[in-house]
Amino acid sequence: MIDDLCDQAAGKDIAVVGLYCDFLAQQEQSTTIMLGAILRQLVSRGGIPEHIRDTFQNAKQEFGGRRLRLPDMIEILKKTIIPLQRIFVCIDALDESAPEHRRELLESLQEIVRVSPNMRILLTGRPHIDDEIAEYFSKAVRIPVIPTQEDIKSYLEIRLRRDTTPKAMDDELRADIMRVIPEKISEM
Amino acid sequence: MLPGRQQVTGNINSFNALTSYNNIVNIAAGPDAERHQILLWLSPLEPQQRHESVRTDRLGSVGNWVLKTDEFREWCDTKDSCVEPVLFCCGSPGVGKTYLR
Repeated sequence: MIDDLCDQAAGKDIAVVGLYCDFLAQQEQSTTIMLGAILRQLVSRGGIPEHIRDTFQNAKQEFGGRRLRLPDMIEILKKTIIPLQRIFVCIDALDESAPEHRRELLESLQEIVRVSPNMRILLTGRPHIDDEIAEYFSKAVRIPVIPTQEDIKSYLEIRLRRDTTPKAMDDELRADIMRVIPEKISEM
Repeated sequence: MLPGRQQVTGNINSFNALTSYNNIVNIAAGPDAERHQILLWLSPLEPQQRHESVRTDRLGSVGNWVLKTDEFREWCDTKDSCVEPVLFCCGSPGVGKTYLR
């Protein structure tokens, strides 16, 4: 989705930024650090805005480089988003973030979106976090992702074409794979 | 699993860079160095690396129907403040949510 959005954004003042939550990196992915990653991608696109440079210079004088706290990070994000035509924030596998970080992240996003009409947020995750998302975004639109028969078949075809032991394959086995796997999946 | 693990290592490495941040400040100079310092100060995470591996491993047009749904198009194209800003693509583990184009 990031790639689709980037294609559309090319040449316009539209920012597309992404985050991948990782179960194995839960502790490192604090809310401030995740929002920081969004901000970092935003400002990597061009020159670093003056207000961020100033805040950095001030922070540098305190204990040789104090990091931003969450409320400051939220304020800076709001300010940096204003001049953009539109910003798409894509957060993958939200269910893999630590529950306490997730709530804080959703709350922070809620606060930013409230004053940023140019912002769109795409979340992906397992269905069980649905209620949690609804607490912060009651009207969030859901798209259930269920692979179609066509998806499964084209996935299998590509994987079979790239098979590393093609000698073990014959027409009959290939036909069985193409028939049985899509069947079994649709029964799930 | 592997890309995930690489990502973790990547994060940890970046953290190391952060702990020695004070030294970097002392050594580096010039506008490029300052830019680099600011980016690291904002966040050590580099999701671009993970994105590259997702792009590489994505298979053909699998799942592209999601991009054609009314829900997605509306979220994407509708004028600001006329649209619900949050879209949630939900699905069981392994259905390919990450790999949607």
